[in-house]
Amino acid sequence: MGTRSNRPRTALRTLLSGVALAIGITGFGVAQAAVPNLEGVWQIATPTSQMKPVAGQVPFTPDGRKAYDANRKLQAQGKFDDYDITLSRCSNPGVPRLALTPLRFKIWQRQNVVTFDYEWNRALRQINLGVPPQPDFLGLGLVPTMTGKSNGHWEGDTLVSVMDGASDRTLIDDLVPHDYDLKVTERYRLIAPDTLEDRITIEDPGMFTTAWDAVVIYKRQPDVIFAEDVCLDRIDAKQPAFPK
Amino acid sequence: MKRQHSNWEHARMRNTTLTSFGPTRTLLGIAATMVMAIGPQLTVAQPAPQGPPPPGAGFPAPGGQPPADFQGPPPGIQGPPRGGPGDGVLAQLGPPPGPVLTPAQKLVAALPPPAPGGMPPRPPLPADAAMPSADRHDLQGTWIHNLPLAFRSQNDMYGAAAPYTMAGAKVIARRVQSLKDGKPFTNASALCRPPGPQWQFDLNFPFQIMQAKDRLEFIFEEYHGRWTILLDPAKAAIPARKSYMGTSVGHWDGNTLVVETGDFRQAIWMDVDGTPLSANGKLIQRIRKVANAGQVPFLEVVTTIVDPANYTAPWSIVRTYGWNPYLALFTEYNCEEQIGDPGVKADAGLVAEPKD
Repeated sequence: MGTRSNRPRTALRTLLSGVALAIGITGFGVAQAAVPNLEGVWQIATPTSQMKPVAGQVPFTPDGRKAYDANRKLQAQGKFDDYDITLSRCSNPGVPRLALTPLRFKIWQRQNVVTFDYEWNRALRQINLGVPPQPDFLGLGLVPTMTGKSNGHWEGDTLVSVMDGASDRTLIDDLVPHDYDLKVTERYRLIAPDTLEDRITIEDPGMFTTAWDAVVIYKRQPDVIFAEDVCLDRIDAKQPAFPK
Repeated sequence: MKRQHSNWEHARMRNTTLTSFGPTRTLLGIAATMVMAIGPQLTVAQPAPQGPPPPGAGFPAPGGQPPADFQGPPPGIQGPPRGGPGDGVLAQLGPPPGPVLTPAQKLVAALPPPAPGGMPPRPPLPADAAMPSADRHDLQGTWIHNLPLAFRSQNDMYGAAAPYTMAGAKVIARRVQSLKDGKPFTNASALCRPPGPQWQFDLNFPFQIMQAKDRLEFIFEEYHGRWTILLDPAKAAIPARKSYMGTSVGHWDGNTLVVETGDFRQAIWMDVDGTPLSANGKLIQRIRKVANAGQVPFLEVVTTIVDPANYTAPWSIVRTYGWNPYLALFTEYNCEEQIGDPGVKADAGLVAEPKD
């Protein structure tokens, strides 16, 4: 966010740069410096529950294959809580699975943070672009979280995010497991004014023999007010966590 | 593949269940217990104002020390005998009469007092910290509660007893008693549902405001909550289904954003102890950005509660929220994992509240 004195100038510079594509559509004021503007409402172009490698198959290690097969078995048995607490409890799907969320999401670029504000269950995920560490009196930062810690920077027109520190209670997608050593590198860029690409590199030596890549494409959606989505209400109503 | 690792919510529970309310309270308000555990002695709100004191600063701040030239109790409060002329007469008169309470207000006044709320210490903002827009109609940015938290609002912003109806008084009395009995009632927060705007605003978690011409969107760290204020409801596509957070419509009254929130999906608890608001009740929030010269700006939110089912008249409470751009990076809040954990009793010891 700009200071009092430079904010109008910053906004003007952003507009003039030709990359502030979201401004005219959402009407939300933008207070970020002149970097590519990814703000707006987005939705996955081709809905899928699987993180498909760009080439070949998921390069499982023996342990990774074993865990994957176990998850498939549990899925077939309907024992979701034993391997996928997103489906059973609406727990945050984490990174990178949030990239496959079927509903829409908003991106906010504010105050050195990129926030992914999901329609699904009001889930949040953030990328830190420069907020300094803050006091952590309870040591919460030591505990893995579903979305881990994502630190980002801009490389030209590409937002590069590196996530680690994730709980192993999330999945890569609806079946592929990972461990605490998961590292997810994402490269977000506009490949067209209304098309956002996320190139995802997944590394986890305990589960995969090598790093592997996937690409997810999003299409810009009309600006909208998200209805209040409460996944647990669906679970109580015996409906799936992700609405059909 | 079944995994049984502890999670961060459990860590929070371990670290924060230090109150007399026991583990069930953890589900009621993790942040609340955290702050209560830290205690008021660590209370630090925003960094010390760098400018001149605000008007009225000569009076003692709540919980603070009186000024050096203070000669006696504030008006309306009886002090100790001082032995001066006329003191004998004063002693005969006794304390000044207090406000006349209704039977409902007497019932509420007789309840055990709410737990004291403190604030964890926060470092002052560095001198080069980004500041919010100077535009009073631009509320964007990250804010966080900067007053000791209130776990039960039973007095209005002027200190007068809340104008409870007897029905409302019985509700809060029942809820407070349930805490005393160690069998607190279930509520939206405990079930990891959006707890309504007042509760959402009243704990020690930051929130961000995004603003457009036709609306403001608040996103909260706590409950990964979202609150939308419509500025142009005629043109807005308002979701058809009633929401836990209600429907909020706002307009600018000078430099104050006046928001009316109602149409709730269900009755809400306005705070951790359960100050009631019926589903047909309304909250009128008057939100303004205060930016005195030389001071870190803050948001002031005066909330007027209009709910004839529980209160005989509208009454108002006030909260303030300090500017803090370094809290824009939220800590993940994932109560869903905890709620669904078969290792935790489904209702976490909470019991269903009797219906009126």
